[in-house]
Amino acid sequence: MAMTTRDRARLSLGIQAGIFLAVVIVLAILIDWTAIRGSFFAFENLGPMFPEIITVGLFNTVQYTVVGFIFGLLGGTLLALMRMSSFPVYRWVATAYIEFFRGIPAILVFIALGFGASLAFGWNLSTLQIAGSALAIVASAYIAETLRAGLQAVPKGQLEAARALGMPAWRAMVTIQIPQAFRIVLPPLTNEAILLTKDSSLIFVVGMAGSAAELTKMGRDGINIYQAGLTPLVVAGFCYLLLTVPLSLLARRMEHRTPRTGKK
Amino acid sequence: MDANMSQSQSQSQSQTPGETPAASTPTRATAAASAQDVSGGHGTTAAGVTITGLHKSFGDNEVLKGIDMSVAPGEVVCLIGASGSGKSTLLRCVNRLETPNAGTITVGEHEATHPDVNLDAMRRQIGMVFQQFNLFPHLSVLENCTITPRRVLGQSKAEAETEALAQLDAVGLKHLSERRPDQLSGGQQQRVAIARALTMKPQLMLFDEPTSALDPETVGDVLASMRELAEAGMTMLVVTHEMGFAREVADRVVFMDQGLVVEEGPASSVIGAPQQPRTQDFLRRVLNPLGE
Repeated sequence: MAMTTRDRARLSLGIQAGIFLAVVIVLAILIDWTAIRGSFFAFENLGPMFPEIITVGLFNTVQYTVVGFIFGLLGGTLLALMRMSSFPVYRWVATAYIEFFRGIPAILVFIALGFGASLAFGWNLSTLQIAGSALAIVASAYIAETLRAGLQAVPKGQLEAARALGMPAWRAMVTIQIPQAFRIVLPPLTNEAILLTKDSSLIFVVGMAGSAAELTKMGRDGINIYQAGLTPLVVAGFCYLLLTVPLSLLARRMEHRTPRTGKK
Repeated sequence: MDANMSQSQSQSQSQTPGETPAASTPTRATAAASAQDVSGGHGTTAAGVTITGLHKSFGDNEVLKGIDMSVAPGEVVCLIGASGSGKSTLLRCVNRLETPNAGTITVGEHEATHPDVNLDAMRRQIGMVFQQFNLFPHLSVLENCTITPRRVLGQSKAEAETEALAQLDAVGLKHLSERRPDQLSGGQQQRVAIARALTMKPQLMLFDEPTSALDPETVGDVLASMRELAEAGMTMLVVTHEMGFAREVADRVVFMDQGLVVEEGPASSVIGAPQQPRTQDFLRRVLNPLGE
């Protein structure tokens, strides 16, 4: 007898559940749970990590990220305007900048600022300065493209209506285009903030004093200090989630809210 | 003269409630009175349009091939023709949303095609209504109507809101002033767009297929608002497929085909008794789509 659609759906579900169960069983048999627990989940010796992992590590991570994001937003806005400029040289410069810094690993920027800047210019940059500007340099390239896409996503008719009413170009941009673009770019900007939070860990290549240590650095140091295997890194990882999961939820909420049904 | 007309309008307005006690919705008399205030009550006058030798190309595609036409102050001219005939492009050249390749356009005292023309000042005197309404979705209906008078003309909030509410009242939508555009029907949005344009006290109104994106049942309200504006003495250049509106309201109808003016004259002759074969063909297809 031919299978009905419902039978087929039931069979598909059964196969998926079977595969899942098989994988779980194989893993449970093969994995050395004691070793895993000793290496990754030995929380009992980690009391001394607190509260510094929060008051120093988490604090510094947030600090570097916020500074990087704010200046990245400023730089990104400037680059986006340059890319849309009628003056071709601005467009070329902005395009070259964006392509360059989107194309190289962020860690190279940290190294260049951490070591290169002091060698080349004799600058003595603080950890905050290095981390903040490295993140800002990278973030501005990504943010520029996000902002440009957002501005261009505002329907052309909006600007035409504003100009037809007699608004000068700058006024139409400030009053009509940017407020609408802002709603469009909020979710991607939140994602950028999440990426930046994690990239702040790259400051480890430069090295830093204990008081300037961020989450990843404190986790790595913890491996040598406590007899807990890699558990300090797991703690650091959870601290990142403390920052990034709320940001993710925020981004998702904003994506679900349609940009056109405005609230006051 | 203008002042007298306003006065007589407002007198008839004050009599209206006595005559029709049940009048809760704005009557044509009150709406027309408000529209009258715009075109005549503030010292502004209706402006005429003169277009000579207008050419416009998009790349290799020549859309306008030498247009000569004019609209007298206070005149209502309907532009008709098949899509792609250049009607909308012509309209958009008048307020310079498009830049012509050759030819001259004057609107009132402004020479729109002069290299040194102050486009923003000129556009403040030209209202435009778009096929897609183009209301600002992030602003309320009232804010849509006050933002430009406040930010561009420097009016106070109270001053701008008083004028905006009067204009919204004239199109019968004062009660929706706190809504967002997306909470309105297409016809309501388009009437807000008309009110928004009128808050700038234009001397000329351009309509670019204002009813083409509307549900059929909402077309009538928009056309009624346009007719009231026409009766109030506004200069209007209207691109439309509404032959009934053109016939009833237009002082003159201009038929365009392939970037040229083919035939123009009173609606009764251009629509009623077209002389040119292309006009006849177009009207046959528009008025009798099934070829009956």
